[in-house]
Amino acid sequence: MAPDDQMPDMAFLDIPIESPEALYAAFEARGWGDGLPLVAPTEDRVAAMLAATGDRDPDEVVAVLAPRFGKATRRAIAVNAVLAGCRPEWMPVVVTAIRALGQPQVNLRGVNATTHPVSVLTIVHGRAVDELGFNGGLGAFGPGNRANATVGRAVRLVLLHVAGATPGPGDASTQGQPSKYTFCVGENVVSSPWGGYQRSVGVDAESAVTVHCGENPHNFHDMESDEPARILDKAASAMSSLGMNNACISEGEFFVALCPEHAATIAGAGWARADVSAYLYERARLPAAMFREAFANRRWRPWMHAVADDHLLPMTDSPDNVKVFVAGGAGKHSCVIPSWGVTRSVTLALEP
Amino acid sequence: MVRILSPEGDVGTPPAVLTAAPAVLTGRRIVVLDNGKPNARLVMEHIAGRLAERTGAVVGVTVAKRGGAATPSEPSELAAVRASADLVLTGSAD
Repeated sequence: MAPDDQMPDMAFLDIPIESPEALYAAFEARGWGDGLPLVAPTEDRVAAMLAATGDRDPDEVVAVLAPRFGKATRRAIAVNAVLAGCRPEWMPVVVTAIRALGQPQVNLRGVNATTHPVSVLTIVHGRAVDELGFNGGLGAFGPGNRANATVGRAVRLVLLHVAGATPGPGDASTQGQPSKYTFCVGENVVSSPWGGYQRSVGVDAESAVTVHCGENPHNFHDMESDEPARILDKAASAMSSLGMNNACISEGEFFVALCPEHAATIAGAGWARADVSAYLYERARLPAAMFREAFANRRWRPWMHAVADDHLLPMTDSPDNVKVFVAGGAGKHSCVIPSWGVTRSVTLALEP
Repeated sequence: MVRILSPEGDVGTPPAVLTAAPAVLTGRRIVVLDNGKPNARLVMEHIAGRLAERTGAVVGVTVAKRGGAATPSEPSELAAVRASADLVLTGSAD
């Protein structure tokens, strides 16, 4: 069978030699790539990537991605996974992340169009973390782990190439963000006192993938506390910045990645995951007058407009918007990942 | 020579396409679709006024997007624009 018959929806490109320089030149000439070295997406490599998802139709449209309305077929995703340096066994994670990004509540068109430096955090949950070699332990946000690095990068390359989220015409981010190169982390479920995150949002699966469109992680540390409130007050402080979109968009979520030691101290005092969310909702607050002085336009719930100036308003309008999971290794550093705002995270079972 | 595959994939069908702009604006109605960004209405209404002065067009109503710049217009907002405009000025600004 001729290549064109095998792959009817894909253009081919013949480059003189497989070298980093030739691939760079070919991609730069077309405005492709993320600026980093790429692995050549040869037919054999793409076929191997597709084979990792079984005998599914390579032309299945997993998602249609704005603003280009590009069809993210399994084949197109596979090409980008090869480019990113993924191993074939990670292809289902990339496909699941792209399927999640195609859900309407993500509002991908807004995510890609905004001037905000939003990027896509991919979180891998459950057995897949260990079985596929993702890092949810020490240095989970990077660098150094190939699965985390390349899966996050593959998601970004799909956004660049298929969604058309090219800086300028397709991505208006004023300053960009380092996590727009790659942003993937494993959940440290072994060290989580509350089990896997996916089950807390109703996904009854051994392994799952979450996408959250937000900022880079904001660190908070507490080296000395032996009770939850003192640790979480520092998280609340990190969440209470007028500079983040959550300050003027009350529906925005926060992801809170607790390190195992913080999580153990908090759970050891009898706190459930929902207690952490409720506490942070109560503590991450600023006076209404401060919000009003800072923003003429506020995308708030109606009741938030009605309170007096001295009322302490929450940074997000529901405890359910504070999403808690465990990541990292030894040490007492945790982080908060604020939202772009008008977007919802999505968690899907990892496709088999 | 090495054959590689394009990473772009096919383009799907956009949910809507723009109507072609009128060639002559004289007598046409200009409507501003305000996305709620700071000063967007100020800038676009000024542009609408200058455009009307130069072409003989008529400045019509300003339609404000309730959802702001981050989400698509509501169907009722688009209906209002469709009913009252021959040319729409809109855009995102900070």
